[in-house]
Amino acid sequence: MRRWAHRTHLAGSLLFAVAACGRESRHAPAPGRISVVDDAGRTVALAQPPTRIVSLSPAVTELLFALGAGDRLVGRTTWCDYPPAARRIPSVGDGLNPNIEAVAARHPDLVVLYRSALNETAAAQLARLGIAAVVVQQDRLEDIARAARLLGHLTGTDRAGASLAAALEQLVASSRMLPPPSPGRPRTRVAFVVWDNPPVVIGAGSYLDELAGLVGAANVFHDIAAASVTVGLETIVSRDPDLLVLLRDSATAEPPGFLRRPEWRAVRAVRQARIVYLSGSLFARPGPRAAEAVAEFRRRLEEAMP
Amino acid sequence: MRWLGLMVVVVLALALAVVLGPAHVSLADLTTSDIVRSLRLPRALLAFLVGGSLALAGAGLQALVRNPLADPSLLGLSGGAGLGAVLAIALHVNSPWALPLAAFAGALGAMALVYRLGLVGGAELDPRILILAGVAVGAFTAAVTTALVSLSDAAELRNAFLWLWGGLSGASWDSVLLLCVYAPLPVAVLLAAARPLDLLALGEEPARHLGADVEAVKRRVYLAASLLTAAAVAVSGVIGFVGLVVPHAMRLLWGHRHRPLLPAAFLGGGALLALSDTVARVAVAPRELPVGIVTALIGVPVFVLLLRRWTAS
Amino acid sequence: MDRELILDVRAVSYRYPETARDALAGVSLVARAGEVHAVLGPNGSGKTTLLRVALGLARPATGSAAILGQPAAAWSRRDLARIVGVVPQREDHLFPQRVRETVLLGRYPYLSVWGAERPEDQAAVDRALARCDVSSLATRWIWTLSGGEYQRVRLARALAQEPKLLVLDEPTASLDVRHEMELFELVRALADQDGLAVVLITHHVNLAARFADRVLLLADGRTAGDGAPADVLTRETVERVFAWPVSIASFDGRPQMIPLRKQEEHS
Repeated sequence: MRRWAHRTHLAGSLLFAVAACGRESRHAPAPGRISVVDDAGRTVALAQPPTRIVSLSPAVTELLFALGAGDRLVGRTTWCDYPPAARRIPSVGDGLNPNIEAVAARHPDLVVLYRSALNETAAAQLARLGIAAVVVQQDRLEDIARAARLLGHLTGTDRAGASLAAALEQLVASSRMLPPPSPGRPRTRVAFVVWDNPPVVIGAGSYLDELAGLVGAANVFHDIAAASVTVGLETIVSRDPDLLVLLRDSATAEPPGFLRRPEWRAVRAVRQARIVYLSGSLFARPGPRAAEAVAEFRRRLEEAMP
Repeated sequence: MRWLGLMVVVVLALALAVVLGPAHVSLADLTTSDIVRSLRLPRALLAFLVGGSLALAGAGLQALVRNPLADPSLLGLSGGAGLGAVLAIALHVNSPWALPLAAFAGALGAMALVYRLGLVGGAELDPRILILAGVAVGAFTAAVTTALVSLSDAAELRNAFLWLWGGLSGASWDSVLLLCVYAPLPVAVLLAAARPLDLLALGEEPARHLGADVEAVKRRVYLAASLLTAAAVAVSGVIGFVGLVVPHAMRLLWGHRHRPLLPAAFLGGGALLALSDTVARVAVAPRELPVGIVTALIGVPVFVLLLRRWTAS
Repeated sequence: MDRELILDVRAVSYRYPETARDALAGVSLVARAGEVHAVLGPNGSGKTTLLRVALGLARPATGSAAILGQPAAAWSRRDLARIVGVVPQREDHLFPQRVRETVLLGRYPYLSVWGAERPEDQAAVDRALARCDVSSLATRWIWTLSGGEYQRVRLARALAQEPKLLVLDEPTASLDVRHEMELFELVRALADQDGLAVVLITHHVNLAARFADRVLLLADGRTAGDGAPADVLTRETVERVFAWPVSIASFDGRPQMIPLRKQEEHS
C-alpha cells in the first residue's frame, strides 16, 4: 500500500516538472552572460542561451527534450532514439569517438558530451574551434540530476531543470524508505551479466547497480567497485544470484545461446530459467525516465520471483 | 630424473587448478562440489590440453621453418579465428557453439589460404614463405576484424575482443571431450615426425639424402600444427607465449632431439597453462585476469632462470 | 668377375625450369663396387645436377638413371638411404649436437617410426666412427671440431647408413693438404677394403687423378671425357675444358695438371 502511494507521488512530481517545462519554453531566454562549471571542472561561458545545440549523449538528448529545449537541438548521436521526435534531428555519428567535423558542420553554439577520456579530448578540440563544449558525468542518477540543473541554467529553463532534478533526487532518496528485508521477504539477489565468455558482470560503479538498490534488490557483485568487471564463472555460481539480468536491444524471443552452454548450467538461476531481459535503451544509461525504469524493473522482478 | 620432475609439475599444476579458486571449496567437499566437478576439473583439463597443443605445435613449427622465433600465432590462424568469431556475433548466430565453430572455421580458412600461398611452383612447401604468408594473412584478417568492430553499432562486437584475448571461461566437459577426440591425430602426427625434424635441421637436401621424405614431412607438420592451433584458438581465444617459449625452455633441459623434446613440450605447455589459469582465477579474485597475461608473467622468469642455469653450466 | 653395378646413369639430359640451356646433355655415369669414380669440371659444368639426377631428385628429360637396376625415381627416399650414403657440399647447423648424435642420424632409414635405437644401430655407429678414425671424438660437440675432423664425422654418418654407394660432393673444399690427403686415403680404403662404390665430385683435378679409377670430365653439361685418368686428362682436353693453358706431368703413373702463367705459355 505504502509503495503504491510512493509511486504515484513520484509520477506526480514528474508530471508537474514536465508541465512546468512546457510553460517555461514559451518565454524568451533572459539576456546576459551565462557561465557554468561542467563535470570536468571546465568553466564554460556563453553570451546568451544557445539556440543550436548538438547533443553527443542519449541521456542529454532526453534531458533537453524534457526541459522543453528539444527544438534547439541540431545534432544528435545515432543512439539518441528517445523521444521519437529526436529521430528527426540529423545524426553526427555514434558519438563514441566524436567526429569533430560532423559536429562542427552543424554550426552549433553549444555541444554537450558525456564524460570520458575521449570526449574530454574532443571538448578541448571543439573549444579550440571556438565552439562551447560542456562535459557531463553520466554514471548515476545524481549525475543526471546535476546535469538537469546545469542544462536548465544553460538553456534558460532553470525552473524546469530544478524540478526535474528534484524529482530525480527524490527517486534516489526514496530507495532509503523501502521496507527492510525480512526473513519472509528477503532481498532478491541479482547479477547483471553483460558478456558470457569471459563472464562480465556489473559492479558497484554503474547505473544498473544503483537501479537494483532503488528497487530493493541486491547486486551480488556490489562489493566490486568497478562499473563492469570480468569474473570467473565459479564466482557467479558461488554467489548464487536468484536471477540474472541481461540487457538486450532487440525484441527477439530467443534467449541468448550461452544460456544453453553446459558450463552455465552450474548457475542455479540458469537452471531455473530465472532470467530478466531489460531493454538497453531505457536501462543501460541513467536518464530522465529513471522513474519509469525503476517501475518497470520492479515489475519484472516480481514477475520472475513469484 | 627430469621426466619425473616434469610429471610432478604436471600433477601439481592440475591439483592446484582443482583445489584453488575464487569460490571457497574445502578439501573435504572437493569430490562432491558442483563447482569442482562441473567447472574446475574440466577447466583444468582443458587448460592442460590447450597448453600442451600450443607448445607442441610451436615446437614443430620452429623445426619446420628452422627459426627459433616461430610461434603458432605466426600461422595467421588467430586472425582468421577472430574474424570468424566476429562474423558469427555480427550475424547474430545464436547457437551456444556458434563462437567456437565459427572461430575454428575462420582458422581453417586462414590455414588453407596460407598453405596455398606457401606452395611454390605448385608442389613444394617453402617454410619461409609460410611464415610470411601467415603474418600477412593474420594482419589482414585482424584489420578486417577491427574495421568490422569499429564500424558496427553493436556493443557485443566490442566484447568479442574480450574473447579474443584468450580465456578458458568456456570450459566444460563437452569441450574437453571434443578436444580429446580431435587432438590425438595431429598430436600423433607431430610426435611421429620427431626424427625427420631432426634431419630437416640439416637442410632439405641433406635430409632427403638421409632418407627423409621431406615434402611429406613439411606438409604433415604444417597441417598438424595448424589443426592443433586452430582448435586451441577456437576453444580459448588467442593465448600467446606458450607456443614460443615452452619449446625453448624444454630444449634447455632436454636438448634439441625432437624425440624427447616434443612430448616434454606438450607436458610442459599443459602444466604452464593450467598453472597460469589458476593464477588468473585467483590472483585478483573475485576478478579474473586474461590468461595470456599470466602465461607471460609466469613464463618469462622461469625461462630466465633456466637460461642462467644453462649458461652457468 | 665384373664388379657389382650400383649406379647406372645413361645419357641423361636435364634443364632447370625457366633456363635457356640444358644443364646436362647426354651424360652417362657408372659406379661399380670397389671403384672410385671422380667427377670433374669447372664451376657450372653440371656436376651437382648430375648427382641430383642420379639419385632421383630431379627427373631427366631424356636418358635414365638406375640404382641396383631399379629406376632412381622409383626408390623411396628411405630405401635409397640404405643403399646410397651422401656427404653433401653444404649443411646447416641449426642446433648444437655431439658427434655420436650426428652419426646416429645416419641410422634413420633403419629405425621404425616409434621404436628406439637398437643395439645393432649403436654397433653400426661404433663401426662407422672407428672406420673414419673419429671414435675418440664421439662425445665432442660438433662446433669444437676442426674442418678435417668435421668432414670425417660427416663421412662416418654416411657410413652409418651401411651403403653400397658413397657419394661425396666437394668433400675437401676448405681443407688443408694434410686433411685433404687423409680424406682421399680414407675414401680409397673404403673402396678397396670395404668394397664400396664411390662417386667423388671434386675440384681437385690432381688428387682425383691420383686416387680415382675412372674420371668423368664435364664441360657445359656435356661429357668431355670418361675413362682412366691418363686417357681423359690430356693437355688438349684440359685446356679446352678449363679454358686455361696447362702442362701435364706424370706422377706415380698418373697425370698431374700444372696451370701455366701467361709468360710460360710461349716458352
